[in-house]
Amino acid sequence: MTMGDATAPEGPAAQARAKLLPKGVGLLLALAAWEAVARITAGGFVIAAPSEIAFYIGANTGLLLRALGTTLWSAAQGFVWGNLAGVLLALVAVLAPRSERLLSTLALLIFCLPLVATGPILRVLYGPGTGPQVTLAALAVYYTTFLPVLVGLRAAPRGWFDLVRSYGRSRWTEMFQVRLPAALPYVVAGLQIAAPAAFLGAMVGEFTGAERGLGVLTVRALRALDLPATWSIAAIAAGVSMLAFAGVGALGRRLDLAPPEVLLAPPTDTRRRAWSGIAEALLAAAVTLTVWKGSMELFALPRFFAKRPEDVWAYLVTSPGAEAQRARLFGALGETLALAGPGYLAGLVLGAGLAMGLTLRPRLAGAVIPVSIALRSIPIVATAPLIVWALGRGATGTIAVVATMIFFPTLIACQHGLARTPRAVLDLFDVYATGSLRRLASAQLPAMLPAFFASARMAIPAAILAVTTAEWLATGRGIGALMATVASTSDYGMLWSAIALIGLAAVLAHALVVALERIVLSRTSAEQLAR
Amino acid sequence: MSARPDIRLTGVSKSFGAAQRSVEAVASVDLTLAGGQMTALVGPSGCGKSTLLRLIAGLDTPSTGTITIGDETPDTLRQRAGLAVAFQDPALLPWRTVESNVALGRALARRPRDPDLVRDLIARVGLSGFEQRRPAELSGGMRQRAAIARALAGEPDLLLLDEPFAAVDALTRDRLNAELPPLWEARGATSVLVTHSVAEAVRLSDRILVLTPRPASVAADIPVPLPHPRDAAVLASDAYRDLCAKVTDALRDHQFPENLAAQ
Repeated sequence: MTMGDATAPEGPAAQARAKLLPKGVGLLLALAAWEAVARITAGGFVIAAPSEIAFYIGANTGLLLRALGTTLWSAAQGFVWGNLAGVLLALVAVLAPRSERLLSTLALLIFCLPLVATGPILRVLYGPGTGPQVTLAALAVYYTTFLPVLVGLRAAPRGWFDLVRSYGRSRWTEMFQVRLPAALPYVVAGLQIAAPAAFLGAMVGEFTGAERGLGVLTVRALRALDLPATWSIAAIAAGVSMLAFAGVGALGRRLDLAPPEVLLAPPTDTRRRAWSGIAEALLAAAVTLTVWKGSMELFALPRFFAKRPEDVWAYLVTSPGAEAQRARLFGALGETLALAGPGYLAGLVLGAGLAMGLTLRPRLAGAVIPVSIALRSIPIVATAPLIVWALGRGATGTIAVVATMIFFPTLIACQHGLARTPRAVLDLFDVYATGSLRRLASAQLPAMLPAFFASARMAIPAAILAVTTAEWLATGRGIGALMATVASTSDYGMLWSAIALIGLAAVLAHALVVALERIVLSRTSAEQLAR
Repeated sequence: MSARPDIRLTGVSKSFGAAQRSVEAVASVDLTLAGGQMTALVGPSGCGKSTLLRLIAGLDTPSTGTITIGDETPDTLRQRAGLAVAFQDPALLPWRTVESNVALGRALARRPRDPDLVRDLIARVGLSGFEQRRPAELSGGMRQRAAIARALAGEPDLLLLDEPFAAVDALTRDRLNAELPPLWEARGATSVLVTHSVAEAVRLSDRILVLTPRPASVAADIPVPLPHPRDAAVLASDAYRDLCAKVTDALRDHQFPENLAAQ
């Protein structure tokens, strides 16, 4: 930036103001439309008008502020612990590469545990207080920090490592001079996603019987079918999440960190034999069972609620009522999968589809992408009841919740992926004046695929969270509702069985996506796999 | 150890990839590069010049054979920071300024800080005034010059230059060819230069090895008995021109593998 720019009449500040004006007008128009729709559909008990929300917030400012403060404090603590854990895990995986696959599998497994089930268990474990909120907030963020940081620690080109090696310096020098500085933008990107996620985790923790906080108010408002209250809390949660997301992003820019190109999961080695995959799966299963049982024995957790692996086995296989219990559990799981599957696919297809569509209409992208980035940061918990209210308790509502949860991250990841198409390749297509569709299919789509598959993997835990939350809070069906019911009746055998089953389903789904990813990427982007 | 180590390669070969589909990059090379000299490796693209350089640097290990530098292995030489490489890809750390990147060459070599030397090197590669710029703000050629300054900052006994002037424009290249040699000649460091340019090889080196296409082996070994410094008078001499022609002929003879078979 030269001095001339600052003194020119059309300086950056003036330009920013000029851009802000149409945005302000657009916002006012949107609010007016929202108000109108709410008034028209007032009898349907679906949409609260902005004026009602404003009125509710105005009338309950003190209550809402106190609740917000409580939730924010829990979220902040969980944010710190969860991110610390995520960064430490990534460091261990880089320093001890052999442990990486096992660590990744366990990290994924724990991340997939449904908050609906872990919440009540943590509540029993901690008793009253903020323990469950903080733990759930930490659990909600560590994985989304672990993955980008792991990628970032490896993102440096080979030349930088050669440089350090050519001076005969150790892995520590490599870590401090190359890996950590190179990973910093990825850390910030991880923290940015973590900020709203921690808020969501804290809110879900409060659903499970906290005394104070926005989560408590949400449950109350839902039970009372208090439309303005539910919408107001959702609006506050959304606003806080967007602010947290934007705040971390601003911090990153302040530190002069270029955002990382795209958050791909770490590339994996292709030169593996078939049996090594099976051996790793067996090892992961053994370690999981050992950690599960070992931690319970170590802390001498009462068998009444802390069911060991063998208790779950007995509950589902050898006990007298096993058959009926199995039927109930699998029935609920089937019901859930029938909704989660279509929602998952719809979210992925729509997200990738819109991202591709936007490359054909770049001007539109300038308008859609910032909005999508903002919407991505809204916690699903806040929107799930609203979506289900709007679309009904049938299949459509739940599918829409799952699809919405997956849609925005996929859109943004695919957009980044498309933008990564090498300039020279695009120039080549331009030289021959190729149509934009042809260019999309031949050059941009292959560039997008790694990002698409990375988001397909990340979407699995997101889909589980979305579907179980929707079933629990709104529809009262499927495995989410089953877990909520058995948690309230202290049927811990069923609760732990459901957790184990969901964990297994998540790992299997993940393995399926990874297998598909390998097949596709080995044809289109071999470099993603080969590193 | 002396600052003028000989480099000895004995039966060195290097293959990449799994057994069946392996590609032989370097085939059984026996060589001694005299200490304190600059040896240039020239050859067609992809002939394995850079692989040979990486083997000497100890960044890759040979499939067969041994390499010694003075009485050390490349590994022990690296361990005591006795060598520096100016990479083809400049590999500047993007979060550091030019000055900080050059100083890193000293820090990594565990030499005491010497801001004056760093500034002097930056001036010699023609980057004065750009000390506080980040690599992203420099042109490709400027980045390569910064990388050369970084390699020299560690005061190495063995200097390896992997096409260091590839992205530098012809005029700057000419100037660097004139100004940089005193920097390593004064120290008497042994140096190896990988280059595409015949003129550059003749101008800078004491000996030229023309390599055959993959797998690399020595096709011609041409001494360069021109006096130092190689000023304008030397470059205008018949001896210089004859050497350039000789190297060009040797390269042409070995440009394609079939020529080898025909011999």
